Amino acid sequence: MSRLQNQPTLRVDTNKPLSFTYKKKTFSGFKGDTVASALFSGGIRIFSRSLKYHRPRGLYSLDGECSNTGMEVNGIPNVNAEKTLLEKGMQVKAQNVKGSPELDAMGFMDSLDRAMPAGFYYRTMHKPARIWPIALQQVRKAAGLGKISPDFRMTGEFDEIFPTTDVCVIGGGPSGMTAAIAAAETGLRVILLEARPWLGGFFDYRQSEFSRDLPHYQRARELEARMQTLPNIRVFTHTAMVGAYSNNLVTAFQIGNEKDPFDERYLEIRAQSMIVATGCIERPLLFENNERPGVMQIACAHRLANTYGILPGKRAVFSVAHDLGIEAALDLFDAGIEIAAVADIRDNPSHAALVSELEQREIPYLKGWVAREALGAPLKSVSLTTLQGTFEKKLECDLLVASAGMTPVTGPLSMAQAELAFDQHTGFFLPKSLPVGVYAAGRLLGLNDSRAIEASGQVAGLSAALNCGKASAQALKDAQEMLAGRPQAERGCNLVMAPVKGRKAFICFDEDTTVKNIKQAIDMGFDATELIKRFTAAGTGPGQSGIPGHNLPLLVAQHHTDHGALTRPTTMRAPLVPTLMATYAGTNHLMSKRTPMHERQKQDGGVMRKIGVWNRARYFSDDFSCRREIENIRNNVGMLDATTLGKFRIFGPDALKALQRVYVGDMAKISPGKIKYSAMCNEDGCIIDDGVVVQRGENDYYFTTSTARAGITVEWIRYHTRYDGWDFNLVNLTDAFGVINLAGPKAREVLSEVIDADISNAAFPFAAYQEFTALDTIPVRIMRLGFVGELSYELHVPGSWMETLWDALSEAGKPFGIANFGLETQNVLRMEKGHLIIGSESEQRTTLHDVGLGGLWDRNKPAVDTVGAVALQQTENQEKRLKLVGFKMKNTRTPPKDGSIVVDDRIRGHVCIARYSHTLQEAVGMALVEDPLHAVGTEISIYEDECQGQLVSATVVPMPFYDPKGERLRS
Amino acid sequence: MTDIKRRSPMVFPQEAKQVEKQGHWAVVMEYASEGEGPWIIDLSHRPRWDLQDSDLSRFKPFEIDIPGKPGQCRLENNVLANRMNRTQVSLWQLTGDRLETPEDTAFTSTMDVTVCLAILGQAVFSIAEKLSSLDFRDPALSTPRLFQGPFAHVPCQMVIAGQPDGMPGMLLTCSRGYARDMVAAILHAGHEFKLQPAGQLAFDKWVAGLA
Repeated sequence: MSRLQNQPTLRVDTNKPLSFTYKKKTFSGFKGDTVASALFSGGIRIFSRSLKYHRPRGLYSLDGECSNTGMEVNGIPNVNAEKTLLEKGMQVKAQNVKGSPELDAMGFMDSLDRAMPAGFYYRTMHKPARIWPIALQQVRKAAGLGKISPDFRMTGEFDEIFPTTDVCVIGGGPSGMTAAIAAAETGLRVILLEARPWLGGFFDYRQSEFSRDLPHYQRARELEARMQTLPNIRVFTHTAMVGAYSNNLVTAFQIGNEKDPFDERYLEIRAQSMIVATGCIERPLLFENNERPGVMQIACAHRLANTYGILPGKRAVFSVAHDLGIEAALDLFDAGIEIAAVADIRDNPSHAALVSELEQREIPYLKGWVAREALGAPLKSVSLTTLQGTFEKKLECDLLVASAGMTPVTGPLSMAQAELAFDQHTGFFLPKSLPVGVYAAGRLLGLNDSRAIEASGQVAGLSAALNCGKASAQALKDAQEMLAGRPQAERGCNLVMAPVKGRKAFICFDEDTTVKNIKQAIDMGFDATELIKRFTAAGTGPGQSGIPGHNLPLLVAQHHTDHGALTRPTTMRAPLVPTLMATYAGTNHLMSKRTPMHERQKQDGGVMRKIGVWNRARYFSDDFSCRREIENIRNNVGMLDATTLGKFRIFGPDALKALQRVYVGDMAKISPGKIKYSAMCNEDGCIIDDGVVVQRGENDYYFTTSTARAGITVEWIRYHTRYDGWDFNLVNLTDAFGVINLAGPKAREVLSEVIDADISNAAFPFAAYQEFTALDTIPVRIMRLGFVGELSYELHVPGSWMETLWDALSEAGKPFGIANFGLETQNVLRMEKGHLIIGSESEQRTTLHDVGLGGLWDRNKPAVDTVGAVALQQTENQEKRLKLVGFKMKNTRTPPKDGSIVVDDRIRGHVCIARYSHTLQEAVGMALVEDPLHAVGTEISIYEDECQGQLVSATVVPMPFYDPKGERLRS
Repeated sequence: MTDIKRRSPMVFPQEAKQVEKQGHWAVVMEYASEGEGPWIIDLSHRPRWDLQDSDLSRFKPFEIDIPGKPGQCRLENNVLANRMNRTQVSLWQLTGDRLETPEDTAFTSTMDVTVCLAILGQAVFSIAEKLSSLDFRDPALSTPRLFQGPFAHVPCQMVIAGQPDGMPGMLLTCSRGYARDMVAAILHAGHEFKLQPAGQLAFDKWVAGLA
């Protein structure tokens, strides 16, 4: 189909053709086309089949108000073709058809509507219940949900930005642009969002006069040019607002063009003021077959011609209720379409001159008439009737332009918590009150006069600026007076539907909900619009209530003979416009921590795992039992990167008091050169952390926490001392120090190679702390610990030095067989030694006593001064608590899985950890069990997943399993 | 014999044109193809401290008057003092010979606690906007100014330092462990603006313009 070339409002570039495929044929469009406009230009009239009845569907709104043009584009289903800009090489397919859109084998469903009344699936498909799984499959097969391959991978760049602004304007039409200019001229920062790829709103495609010799589209260009001179306005076109939240947080997504480095971009905008200038969409006219291909809204037909240069038909009938309908009829007539008649629901148009222009063109104008039924598929004729249904006439046509008037786009206002109320004069849901910092402008207030629309933008822009403390009250008053001097909101059309029964009058295209379905729901007792919406599914489709949003509450109100106070719009929720999940996901930078040895450990064969915020080496071979690593520690020496431990400095006159508050031990007993192991409990006496504390100077301590608690320890201590007014300071040194755990019977020999000091057992015994200089240069803090049950040193070295010290130890350890070991090896070694990890051998309910660490609690400290101590007193001898026990498996080779449950006639506990111990040559573990089961010698039964009812048996034994006298770690 | 080095947690794959040994640090002074900016520059080798005390008025670290209000910063004697809260100041030595940690126990060296980097160039705010919702573009902002909050979802300290020769710059510190992912996130965000690593010479020149 050739395009109209002389339209000054065209947005397609006919010098830039783009080819694409549809139905295995090559089609052609132009740059600026949407997929839908290009298909329409190529003669396609049926784009899809409907969800339930498989009725043919075509172009209707051009703004994605319904799923009529939901298609599969480049493998992605449910793409709205009328909002998707055409790109070269696109692969377009129809969806929800068996055969072709024109000849769909499932088309017979349309005749089964009587078998599918409102809510039929709720009422029928559960009797008997066993048929539901079968019915569900069939419903899913028949429904038009689109299909996506399980292997489909989303490609493209999905960006995100988080701008802050003073004023955010939603809508780039005349009022939005005027508002943005008014606010920006006060010096404020303004962001303007426009859903279409260009600015101008309903001025953009209109050639009618804004003022003498200035057509509307030119006026829009003027406003756009004015905005471009203001550097404090940021304009985002092709950007749909999707949500509004407290404190004017506005979310949106932008579709990129060929110059943008992204395909789609998510925006999260924080604004001080927000202006909603989203204008109006058309209220669908309800009549029989109102969604048939060939039936479209006024702006759809008008924009096809003026924006895309495509004549929407050859012979048209108009059934309208707004001056824009008459204006479109005149334009399309001038463009070459025969207009059979213009039926106007109203008694009189707002501008009588329009009727004169119809008369000049000899276009019949039928006052008080309305479309009753669209006939033929594709459309061949239309039946018109008077509003009372008294008279009828039938006119042949291939295009029916139908609309019941305008309805404001109030989704953004609704999401911003504005209170909307039905206005009898305009027939609109208008904001009754607006939240602070939220303003409305333009057509959505019911204004039709072009200058009044702009004046309302001026008022909104200045109001928003005043809210930001910028505009003067006088300037706002002047703007308000100017607006008051313009024509006010016009009377709207009150007709809800033509005089028909409504069996095939669709109130919601997406869900195939008819007027009859609504009546059925009401007859079944549903009275609230929200409930009817859910029962009939009207407005729950991808169009986000674009089609039924206004008509549904009006229709319900009409049935209740209440057209006023109780009429409420249904609730709008994000996303107001559907978009890709990939867009919401954004760039999704995965932020995690690496230790200074990360790359080296990977080079050494470390299998890295993300554990909490850190990446850590779990294994160093394919043998996940880590036999060689374990044996090397027991016999030689190994190194573990333990950098992730929490590390803190606490200092100041009251530092000791703070330590006393959060640790259960008496921290005043820390000896110089010694470490003190202690634990922290919460207020319930449940253990939450353990670690060591050393004193480095007067009122100056260094302490460690578990990896998991590192991020919240400062806050924990501050919180529990918040009323005391104590003078102490905390510095989180977790990342400052790398930690090397050098462990094994030959650890001392290796360490002595890099430390020029006496580190003999006498000079540096178990539980000692000293600060050394390694390699004559590197400051290192060393703790003599024994978590893995062997002679062991924990070297705390500044992060920037760590690699050098690690290398030196590796080199020095070669003669002693030094090797890396990972977390799993540490896990087995410490289990053999009976050392616990908080969170593995404890859970939310386990107190210090339950896990066998009651000895850490110093009872001489005043309980009220120690977090958790009162609860420890109360729970110490409580019966039936979970207790941590060690166990050995009856089958000595096979340990149960971690987390398996301990059972008898009911659940008695769970396995915390169990492994085959290469050291002990048998399977051992630790479990939390109810206290009747904790006695040594008790046999416990363990249920594993996939055990098929075969319980495994174990015996409770004393711990530790390995080196019970602690001779090795003290050696 | 062990080569005793201090290493930055940041690594750029670009070829270094000029490297200078500063103490045990090997500092890249210039990369082979730095372009015209925007730039990302590793400053992890520059000394930094945390000063914490209930009475900060008794301190004048490195002869700098500590800014009075949280968020305020002062750049003097090559050291940037950033007032964090009632009791805390972060101190970053940007250029010059390395200063020693003052003896008062209120000071803690944080050079190994954090990674420190600079992002310089016209696009700095466009890059930052992709990673943080903090309002770095606020026209009412007086520089230098400290921000404390999320950047690429990681808690950071950021200082908007000024615009010498019309080139705005941001200095950023965050936990050392996040260095690689932070740099990757910034480079990814800056890709469309041709963000490139640059050496310390570019930074020194920029800082000289701040004075």
